[in-house]
Amino acid sequence: MPTSTAPRTPGAAGPSSAPAAGGPPSTSGPAAPPTSGPAASRSLGAPLRWLRRNAVVLAGCAALAYLLLPNLVVLLFSFNKPAGRFNYAWQAFSTDAWTDPCGVANLCGSLGLSLRIAVLATLIATVFGTFAAFALARYRFRGKSTANALIFLPMAMPEVVMAASLGTLFLNMRIEFGFLTILIAHVMFCLSFVVVAVKARVMSMDPRLEEAARDLYAGPLQTFWRVTLPLAAPGIAAGAMLSFALSFDDFIITQFNAGPSTVTFPMFVWGAAQRGVPVQVNVIGSAMFVLAVAIVLGGQIVANRRKKS
Amino acid sequence: MTITLSGISKTFGDITAVHPLDLTVPEGSFFALLGASGCGKTTTLRMLAGLEEPTGGTILLGDDDITHLPPHKRPVNTVFQNYALFPHLDIAENVAFGLRRRGVKSVREQVAEMLDLVQLGDLARRKPRQLSGGQQQRVALARALINRPRVLLLDEPLGALDLKLRRQMQLELKRIQTEVGITFVHVTHDQEEAMTMADSVAVMHRGRVIQLGPPAELYENPRSTFVANFLGTSNLFEAEILSPQSTLGPRAEAAEKGLKPVEAGMSAEGETPERAETPAVAGTAEVSEGTSAAEVPGETRVKVAGADVTLRLPTSRCAVESVEGAEGVEEGRKILVGVRPEKIALLHPGEAEAVPATDNQLTGRIKDAGYLGVSWQYLVETPACSDLTVYEQNVERDTRLTAGADVVLHWRPAHTFALDAAQDAAAGEEVL
Repeated sequence: MPTSTAPRTPGAAGPSSAPAAGGPPSTSGPAAPPTSGPAASRSLGAPLRWLRRNAVVLAGCAALAYLLLPNLVVLLFSFNKPAGRFNYAWQAFSTDAWTDPCGVANLCGSLGLSLRIAVLATLIATVFGTFAAFALARYRFRGKSTANALIFLPMAMPEVVMAASLGTLFLNMRIEFGFLTILIAHVMFCLSFVVVAVKARVMSMDPRLEEAARDLYAGPLQTFWRVTLPLAAPGIAAGAMLSFALSFDDFIITQFNAGPSTVTFPMFVWGAAQRGVPVQVNVIGSAMFVLAVAIVLGGQIVANRRKKS
Repeated sequence: MTITLSGISKTFGDITAVHPLDLTVPEGSFFALLGASGCGKTTTLRMLAGLEEPTGGTILLGDDDITHLPPHKRPVNTVFQNYALFPHLDIAENVAFGLRRRGVKSVREQVAEMLDLVQLGDLARRKPRQLSGGQQQRVALARALINRPRVLLLDEPLGALDLKLRRQMQLELKRIQTEVGITFVHVTHDQEEAMTMADSVAVMHRGRVIQLGPPAELYENPRSTFVANFLGTSNLFEAEILSPQSTLGPRAEAAEKGLKPVEAGMSAEGETPERAETPAVAGTAEVSEGTSAAEVPGETRVKVAGADVTLRLPTSRCAVESVEGAEGVEEGRKILVGVRPEKIALLHPGEAEAVPATDNQLTGRIKDAGYLGVSWQYLVETPACSDLTVYEQNVERDTRLTAGADVVLHWRPAHTFALDAAQDAAAGEEVL
C-alpha cells in the first residue's frame, strides 16, 4: 500500500505534534493560543491525516481518470444515434453501429489493410530487430556506435520529416506508392523500437545461464532455442506489441507514402472527419480499447495464477 | 578420471590470468583451487569446463585430449557461482536439462532419484526464484550430478550462503562426493572451506600455483609467507641462521633432496616424528638458561633479529631457497621464523621451570586478551615480535594472564618453520 510513502509535512498537526502542543510551554511557542489544545488539534488532524495517508492513491486515481476519460467518451458516443453527420452531441441511445460496424463504405476495408500492414510490419521488424539487438548487445564490431545512433534516429526525428524524405526517396526510385511503400516505411520505424526493447532485455540477461546450458550438453543452436530465446522473449514480445500499436495507428508517415487505393484505417478516419465521423469509428476504437484491456487483464490473471501454483 | 593440465595458460590482452601451469588432479579426489579473487583460479576452472579457450598448453582427461573440445562435448559439469539456474524452467526441468539435451527419453525416474538425493523431491514443480539460496544450491548440484560427469567443477558453490548453512553444505558436499566417487574440482577463496572439504589444495596467487598439497601439509609447512598468512594466521619474525645442522639426521638428508615438504604423516597429526625422536636427542643435549645452545642433529639454530634470543627448528622446515654459490640453509642467512598462534603455550613467569628444556622460549608482556568463546586470543609484546598472537583453548585459564602481565611463551621446535626473508612478511594477510 502506498500509505507509507505519503510525504509527512512537518508543519501539519499529527499525532506526533499533538502532545508537544498540549504539554508545558516549549521554548518555541510560549505564547501559544489557548484554543490549540490537544482536542482542537485532533479534530483538525483527522481529515488532514486521512488526506496525507491517501494522497498517493488520490493522485493515482486522478491520473488514471485523466487517461481513461477520452476513451470513455468514445465508448459512450459509440452508442449514440446522431441527428446529423456529426457525432458530437448526445441524441439517443442506440446499438445500431455495434450491430453493423461495416455499415460505412470502405471502413472495414481500411481496417483490414491496417491490420495486414501492422501484422506484416511487426513480424519483419521483430525478426530483424531481434537479430540487430543481439548483435549490438553481445558483440563488438566496427561501426557499432554508429549503428546504435542510427537506430535511435527514427525515434528522435520528427515524423513528418521522415515521412517526407521517405516519400521523396520512393518517388526518385520510381517505386509505385502503395502497400509495399507503406510496409517498408512501417518496418523502418518499428525496427528501432524492437531493437531498443530487445537490447535492454538481452543486456540484463545473465551470460552464465547460456554457459550453464553449454556445460549441460546443449550445442549452440540448442542453447539459443532452449535458453537464450525463452529468456529474451519478454523483450521480444514488448517490442512486437509496441510495433503493432505504432504501425496500426500511424498516420503521418502512411499519408506520405500511400497510394490512391491504399487507405489505412487512420487515413479513413481522418478523411471521414472532414465530412463527419460515422459512429462506427467509435465502435472500432472502443472495441480495440476493450480488447487491449482484456488482453492485459487476462495476462495478469494468468501470471498471478501461475505464481500461486 | 585423472585430470592433467600441462603448461596451461591464459592471457586476456596484456593481462596474464594464468601463467603456464602444471597440475594433476587424481581420480576420485576432492581438489580445491584456493586463492584471493583475481588469482586465476576461476579462469583455470573455466578452461577445464571449456568455457575459456587456453592460450597455451593441454588438458588431458584420463588419456583424452580435451583442450579444444567445446563445453557441450566434455564429460564435465559445473556448479556455477550463484547457481545459474534457468529461471524459465521448473526445478525438475532444470535437473533434466542435461539428460534431455543428450536425447535421453525417460528422465522422470532419474530426476526424482536425483532430487531425493539432494532432499528436494517435493519442490520439483517450483520455479528457481521460489527457492531459498540453500535449496537453489542443491538444485544446481543435482542438475550437474544427474549427468554422471567424470569431473564435477564447483565455482565458489557456497559463497552466497550464510555461515551456518555453508558449514552444513560443506559436509553435505563431502558426503555426496564420497557417495558418487566423482572427481571434484572446487574453486574457493575461503581457506576454511578448502581445508574442510578438499583432499588436496592448490594455493594460487597471481596466476600461479604457489603451493600444492593436503590441507594439513599446507597449514603445517607453508613454503611462503603468502601461504603462511592466507591459511590461518602465522607469527612471522626476522632472524638469522646461526648453525645449520643440515648434514646430520635422516630428516635433514631428505630435506636436502630439493627441500621437499615434510611427509604427510607428520602434518596430519599434531604429534610429529620430530617430536618422537626429540627425547632421545634431548638426553644428550646440553641445556643452558632455557634456550638450548646445544647442537641437535637435524636442527638449525637461529638468532632472532634485535633480541638476544636463540630459537631452534628442524632444518627440514626451512623453506629457504638456495642462492648462487650457497645452499639455502647456511650461517648468516636472513630468514623469517614462523609459528602458528595455537602452538604457543603461555605461562606465568613463576612457572617458567615447567617449560621443557628443549622448547623454544620467549618472554613478553600481554598487550591484549580477547575472549572468543572457544578460545582466548592474546596479543603479546616480545623482543622477537611486537604483536605475537597466541590462541589458548578456553579451558582452566590462568586468571593471572591479563593485559599488562608478564608471561613466558614456549613451543616445540618442531612447530617452528622458516621462510625466505626476501619476501613480503605480510603477503596474503588482508584477505576476507
